[in-house]
Amino acid sequence: MYELRGVTKHYSRGKDTVHALDGVDLTIADGDRLVIQGPTGGGKSTLLQMLGGLDRPTSGEVVLDGTDLARLPEARLTRVRSENIGFVFQSFNLIPTLTAQENVETALVPLGIKSKERRERAAEALQSVGLGERLGHLPGEMSGGQQQRVAIARALVKQPKVLLADEPTGNLDESMRDEIMDVLERMWKELGLTFVMVTHDSAIAKKAPRVATIRKGRITVKENANS
Amino acid sequence: MFFTYLRRELRRRRKAALVVASGLALGIALVIVVNSVSSGMGQAQDKVLQSLYGLGTDMTVTKAADPQEEGQAQRPRFRFDAQDSGSDEEQSSDRVMVQGFETLASSTVAKVGSQDGVSNAVGGLSLQVVKVSGQFTRGQFQQGGGGGGGQPSGPGGEGRVEGGGADFDVNSYSVFGTDVTEPELGPLTSSKITSGRTFTSAETNAKVVVADASYAKEKKLAVGDTVTIKDVKYEVIGIATPESGDAAANLYIPLKQAQTLSDSADKVTTIYVKATDSQQIDAVKSEIQKNISGTTVTTSADLADTVSGSLSTASDLATSVGKWLSIVVLAAAFLVAGLLTSSAVSRRVREFGTLKALGWRSGRVTRQVVGEAVVNGLVGGALGIALGLVGAYVVTAISPTLQAELGGGGGTTGPGGGGFGGGPGRQAAARTLDVALTAPVSVTTIALAVALAVTGGLVAGAFGGWRASRLRPADALRRVE
Repeated sequence: MYELRGVTKHYSRGKDTVHALDGVDLTIADGDRLVIQGPTGGGKSTLLQMLGGLDRPTSGEVVLDGTDLARLPEARLTRVRSENIGFVFQSFNLIPTLTAQENVETALVPLGIKSKERRERAAEALQSVGLGERLGHLPGEMSGGQQQRVAIARALVKQPKVLLADEPTGNLDESMRDEIMDVLERMWKELGLTFVMVTHDSAIAKKAPRVATIRKGRITVKENANS
Repeated sequence: MFFTYLRRELRRRRKAALVVASGLALGIALVIVVNSVSSGMGQAQDKVLQSLYGLGTDMTVTKAADPQEEGQAQRPRFRFDAQDSGSDEEQSSDRVMVQGFETLASSTVAKVGSQDGVSNAVGGLSLQVVKVSGQFTRGQFQQGGGGGGGQPSGPGGEGRVEGGGADFDVNSYSVFGTDVTEPELGPLTSSKITSGRTFTSAETNAKVVVADASYAKEKKLAVGDTVTIKDVKYEVIGIATPESGDAAANLYIPLKQAQTLSDSADKVTTIYVKATDSQQIDAVKSEIQKNISGTTVTTSADLADTVSGSLSTASDLATSVGKWLSIVVLAAAFLVAGLLTSSAVSRRVREFGTLKALGWRSGRVTRQVVGEAVVNGLVGGALGIALGLVGAYVVTAISPTLQAELGGGGGTTGPGGGGFGGGPGRQAAARTLDVALTAPVSVTTIALAVALAVTGGLVAGAFGGWRASRLRPADALRRVE
């Protein structure tokens, strides 16, 4: 379970200070599905990075299962990321020289898993997202939707507790968007993940049980009765 | 995963990898060529010194010359009386002179040999033979018929001297008296007997001679022929061909014969010394100089300092310009490799940021970057070694001839003298030798090249690795998205 208490994040940009997050309090229960919306530059991605332990707040606490990520030493924070948190990025962020299977394996490398088991688990993960026939393909040989499915397989292969997605359909057309959202929803349900997703897409937000909106670093959360 | 990732990345960035590898290759090739040429210079100098010393000689002992006034030095004199005009008889005269005109008593050889650190000491006598031969006929006085032009006439009438004159040939050559009982030391050791045989230890006073191959060719001498030196006939028993450079002398005869020819009984000009430990040569030199006064001890290092000419110039170039050029090129190659690797990391910020987001530790990302750079370095090293070997091969194939001038102006004695250190009174005969330059590549040089390649890779990797390790995943992802 996530507990964010009084989280602020300030950036210096020249002489100006940008208040990306300004006293954010937020609770996300295990297995919850939260969509974060808001205008560009409002602090959505910054909040996601705080949740993922990719960045540290200027002040406040980001507690995941009783551990404050803001105060963890770098090595332990890295371990938390490698074991508990899966990321899906807008532009897929696959390694262009590695095949789909090898890209998925990169998520298992920090866990010290032997190569044979890595290969098997990566192949299973790709099969679960419908890419069992594309194991040896390079990212450049696949469509955007397929690449994002590889990225989802990479995020989920280590069986994390949390899946964080930063505009996962932002670079895809409508049909691809629906395809990816179907995969993500299925995984969320099957694996019992805590799923936090940043999106500009109102159609996706309408389906989420909870929607958080961030404007100028301040957050408001609404329960979605329609979901 | 490490090797798969590394291999794929290097294949993807072939051009950048090739640029980095080529820069390192150039530097490493230059180091190999400069090193091997320097080594070749060293060998050439050794050959030059060996041609004087012979193999195995660590130092020579000669007599320090007494200062003499200019012009007081001995010079050979030849006197011939004119012969009657009808005489066809050839007149000839040889002068056998001790080369350098300073000798040591033979007992000094034993004294030197008994010094601490001396393994062996052998005496030798260098001679220069000048033979003048030809005819000097007297002119004929011709009585004039009626005079002419009002010229005064002497008693008995007018007349003039007709005919007469001199036609002489001068032949100068060097002779070295060698101690036949100690064949392993002295100038003859640097020559190989290519025909006939060398001296036996029993031929201490035999009338036998070993001729230098070039001299034998010039004088058409062969084994079994006879050579006459100052009216003494010597049988040619062998032809010696120097392993490198020029021979120390034209003819080699037993020491006792040389002493007899030059009226230098129990005298030697040079003592050839072998030290027990080649690392202790300076100490042995001091020991000899301290205990045997009036001698000049010359080590091969001292003699090397007197080498001038194109060999010396090239050697200086190799050690100074070559060394600095190698350092500059290598430093530039390391810097370029580092900057290119660093720049490659900048282009892969999102990639490394993603890996860190996936839980890759900074160390693992850094290792990946350093690994790629080291492989680049090794590829550069392999290319550099290949290029360097080709360069060294070309130098050896061309074998440029370098001239070594020994002892010019320094009072070095002539061929076979071996020692130096003379004063104004000594015959300062500078000696010029032609030596073919080679560029031998040693295992050490190859090891150095491999070490440089790895170092280059590590330096480049350090640049890139440092950048990669400082990369924070959030910053990396934020900067590109």
